[in-house]
Amino acid sequence: MTTTLINDTLSVQRAPIHPRSFSQAYWDATREKRLLLQRCTRTGQYQFFPRPVSIASGTRDWQWEEVKGHGELFSHTLTHRGTGALRGHEPYLVALVRLDVGVDVVSNLVVTDPTQVKIGLRVKPYWLPLEDGTHLLLFQPDSAA
Amino acid sequence: MSLRDAAIVGYAETKITVKGPHDGFALAGDVLDSLLRTTGFDKEEIDGMIVSPSISSAKNEFWAQTLAEYLGLQLNFCDKTELGGCSAVASVTRAAAAIDAGLCSTVLLLNSDTPTRQYQYENYGFHEEWSDPYGEMGPPGAFGLLTTRYEHEYGLDYAALGKLAVAQRKHAVLNENACEKLRKPITVEDYLQSRVISEPVRLLDCVMPADGANGLLITSRKVARAKQLDRFVVPVGYGEITNLHGARSICDVTDTGHRIAGERALRQAGLKPKDIGSFQPYDDFIFAILLQLEMLGFCAKGQGSAYVRETNFDFDGDLPLNTGGGQISAGQVGLAGGGTNLVEAVRQLFGDGGPRQVKNTANTLVTGIGWISYSRNWGSSNVLILTPDA
Repeated sequence: MTTTLINDTLSVQRAPIHPRSFSQAYWDATREKRLLLQRCTRTGQYQFFPRPVSIASGTRDWQWEEVKGHGELFSHTLTHRGTGALRGHEPYLVALVRLDVGVDVVSNLVVTDPTQVKIGLRVKPYWLPLEDGTHLLLFQPDSAA
Repeated sequence: MSLRDAAIVGYAETKITVKGPHDGFALAGDVLDSLLRTTGFDKEEIDGMIVSPSISSAKNEFWAQTLAEYLGLQLNFCDKTELGGCSAVASVTRAAAAIDAGLCSTVLLLNSDTPTRQYQYENYGFHEEWSDPYGEMGPPGAFGLLTTRYEHEYGLDYAALGKLAVAQRKHAVLNENACEKLRKPITVEDYLQSRVISEPVRLLDCVMPADGANGLLITSRKVARAKQLDRFVVPVGYGEITNLHGARSICDVTDTGHRIAGERALRQAGLKPKDIGSFQPYDDFIFAILLQLEMLGFCAKGQGSAYVRETNFDFDGDLPLNTGGGQISAGQVGLAGGGTNLVEAVRQLFGDGGPRQVKNTANTLVTGIGWISYSRNWGSSNVLILTPDA
């Protein structure tokens, strides 16, 4: 299916997040546009989204590690019936991004040209400011790749 | 083999409606009344009850107990199966286990939900932080991501998906309990031209929320025999998986729990996919049917489109599919919806299919899908194989 233009959604103001005790560090780091992921110290496995334990071992043997956030477009869906703050801004692209460190992230891809939307597209973070000074992790094509 | 010692002795279902006059208690009463009349059991013989969750009563943390009170049941065993769309199918095996353990002898399996009258559902999970900010529109958005990835890996024939939609709709037209709004035939072209919701998911891929209730009465085979019941249905195989690959950060998103659950159920039943007489899969989206056909071994992985093109899914065809119309064409009665195809499966084995009666009643295979997990497919998968008194 083809669409003439995609809304990049950058103009849409989104609600601030209410972190949990075990995701607070993630959101704090986004103030400086840094991407922190939990990493299991037993297995070395990164995980996303943040959990109370390592999903690999079930223990609290995990630590925060900063990653670049580079990866590729794993899947996508062009949304024609928006929800929440994005209602009325259709069509926009919900993306599933597989980071090089081995986690999958649901996000938006900042593009307006539908011909750019191809599985395997190299992407990097785009930090969208939220009202409280934190940022929401979006992705944009990585032209250097 | 505790599962085979159980006997489903009756089924009941209300008409599926949208914004009807009756709430979940009223419809539950209809189900109980119908079950008592059709089975000849006395209310006092029912000493167990398992209910599905209910969107319309999501704020009632005491749903099962409240239902017992409204229906006047004194119970030795009362529970709620918290597996979303897998709940109704899973309740059959939980009841069998409870009976086998001596906790109770006859169990009312009750699924009642009226989400179009009263919608109380809220997610408390990943959504607020990790998917809502991106406008992922719940299940259609998640299925959009899943379907796009599947198509990239294996290719997908949308006309084949349309064929599944058409077959189910044909069955809904023959089902007087199906929601009237949906009892009109559709064509593959109607399917392909229906409005896009979250690409490539179309309107006719999706369920329409509706109100309704359904239920089964299950006891031990010993009790059924002692009562000299001339017909009952026996669960002979079951498999269930929640949070497949839950310890991994990445996985094959086109691999679902039905692969493992199906292997278990078929092995336990001593059957192969080619032996299955009719197929009553959970259908929240048309694509979920195609993926289940692959996972259950009706065809090889990635070959779903070709298999669908070659197979007749009509009630009198090669593999009768959701002979009541499925949830997509009968209406999704909220979290009671897992019972819609289950009750149809039992009805068919009882020979009560009327104008849509399947010929092969040697067995039937029913499934559940429950909860949409983050970035993958779904959270719970289950598979139940039923036979007439075996």
